[in-house]
Amino acid sequence: MTDGDLDVFLSLIERHRRYLYNLAFRITGNEQDAKDVVQDALLNAYLHLEGFENRADLRTWLNRILVNCAIDHLRGVRRRPDMYEPQPITDVAETVASSTPDPERLVSNADWRRQVAAVMKTMSPLERVTFVLRHFEGRSIAEISETVGIGTNAAKQHIFRAVRKIRLALEPHWSGR
Amino acid sequence: MSHLRDDDLVLHYYGEDGPRLVEVERHLQTCAECAIAYQTLTRTLSAVTPPEFIETPPLDDLWALRQMLRDRAGSRARKVSARLVALVWLVPLLYPLSLPLIVSSGRLAQAQILAAPLVVLALAWACAGPFVAAFALNRAAVDFEWLSSRAFAGGAMVAAATPGLYLLVARVLPGLAWWYVALALAVLASLAPWPSTPRSTRNVLVVHRLSAAVITIFALTHIGNQLVGFVSESAYAAALTFLREGYHQAIVEWLLLTSAAVQIVSGATMGMKKVRPGAWTDNFQAISGWYLAMFLITHVLAPGVLNPGATPAPAAVIAATQFNLLATARGAASLPFLLLGVVAFLYHVGTYARLAALAYLAEAQVRRLSYAAVFAGTSVVVTLALALCGVHLI
Repeated sequence: MTDGDLDVFLSLIERHRRYLYNLAFRITGNEQDAKDVVQDALLNAYLHLEGFENRADLRTWLNRILVNCAIDHLRGVRRRPDMYEPQPITDVAETVASSTPDPERLVSNADWRRQVAAVMKTMSPLERVTFVLRHFEGRSIAEISETVGIGTNAAKQHIFRAVRKIRLALEPHWSGR
Repeated sequence: MSHLRDDDLVLHYYGEDGPRLVEVERHLQTCAECAIAYQTLTRTLSAVTPPEFIETPPLDDLWALRQMLRDRAGSRARKVSARLVALVWLVPLLYPLSLPLIVSSGRLAQAQILAAPLVVLALAWACAGPFVAAFALNRAAVDFEWLSSRAFAGGAMVAAATPGLYLLVARVLPGLAWWYVALALAVLASLAPWPSTPRSTRNVLVVHRLSAAVITIFALTHIGNQLVGFVSESAYAAALTFLREGYHQAIVEWLLLTSAAVQIVSGATMGMKKVRPGAWTDNFQAISGWYLAMFLITHVLAPGVLNPGATPAPAAVIAATQFNLLATARGAASLPFLLLGVVAFLYHVGTYARLAALAYLAEAQVRRLSYAAVFAGTSVVVTLALALCGVHLI
């Protein structure tokens, strides 16, 4: 691979960089982690550039690489107890119920975002990735299963479990009103 | 229509209920209970909004990214170090020396049980190939443009499959000299350009899994029968006589041989697609696949298997040789071959089963089940090892 290849590659990915950083941020919930994931994804994409030949959609290809790097990254974080300390889901639910007086107002509130982020941290890497792709990115379950490399049924189950965690943590608040 | 389940409501919220969309919507209009549940779900999920967009790192970061890509890609694309190439080829070179060690330590252990750890050590040496290959593949990326990479990949494959390859060569061309001739040929073959892996192997994987189902049924029955051998040789012989009635039918033999051929060809097509540094699970999956391919070839080419007209040896005779592998160097060569075959099979199938289980169970549950499976698998291998070394309950 020459410097020329690198320049072509960088110009190709430039228009997708904003999208990739933000997808990585939505999945990891942390700017530094997002940066690491994007770097890993770009490195993998660069090393396997010949695998892109004849593919129609660069973004779909980059997206698949990024999602898999993000899953690897989240798994790595979970293996390092110093970096992975999720609150038990019941604690998240209690915190939400006690500290959020008005749900509509809180949706735009930084505190609310922290609560959502805390629930997201209780999810497994696959639950988190499939939920982000379905809920935030609006991808269909078929697309998600193809991107992540799992069956559609598996993708559905991960999303169901993620939604269950969200509901378990956040719904006590609505039902308490 | 009965009440909607939570999962149905989630699918409806995301518009993923397919043909049931209208039916579910109608139900929500007529069932107050489900409508309230759906309203609560909608309220919760619509309150979970994505985080604010973050600013893309500025141009100076792009420069740093450029540097990083250049450095890291450069380091990855480098030739594989000579030490790693030597390491993987040392395995098949030294393998024959481990076999007399197994026999002599086995004899020592029969005279004095305290020498049993020596058998374990000798066996560990003989079985080290796949693990050395995994260790090496986790440290170096394979780029087939480089000669050193091709020698490395070929060495890793041979190291992983050494026990089977050794048996096969010894069967066709007995004598240590032929083994080293075969290794020299393998080195030369690995230096030739490698065929590229097809971009999409999805269909190949489907065929691979279908044929694996047939082999799995046969293999599990076979392993079960070997475990019976731990009880007694006569119990094994009785079970083998019974099982032979089934798998010596022409249709069953044809199905097994076809499945084995499909396994080998489809596995070879996928080649080294998922092998990469740091990916222990994928690397072991590939390595166990290479081992199983060699195991199947050696097994299928065993005397009698491809000769359906021949009268099979009596079960009692097979039991007598099968469970006394420490007696001769030839028998000792079968010990790592069979044990690694079982380990590779359990790992290969177990990894797939784990992935399949993730479709139905939470990751934590799958992890717990995996630990249980590892325990069960280890017990099976240890029991088999004892039986093959001539230790029986009765």
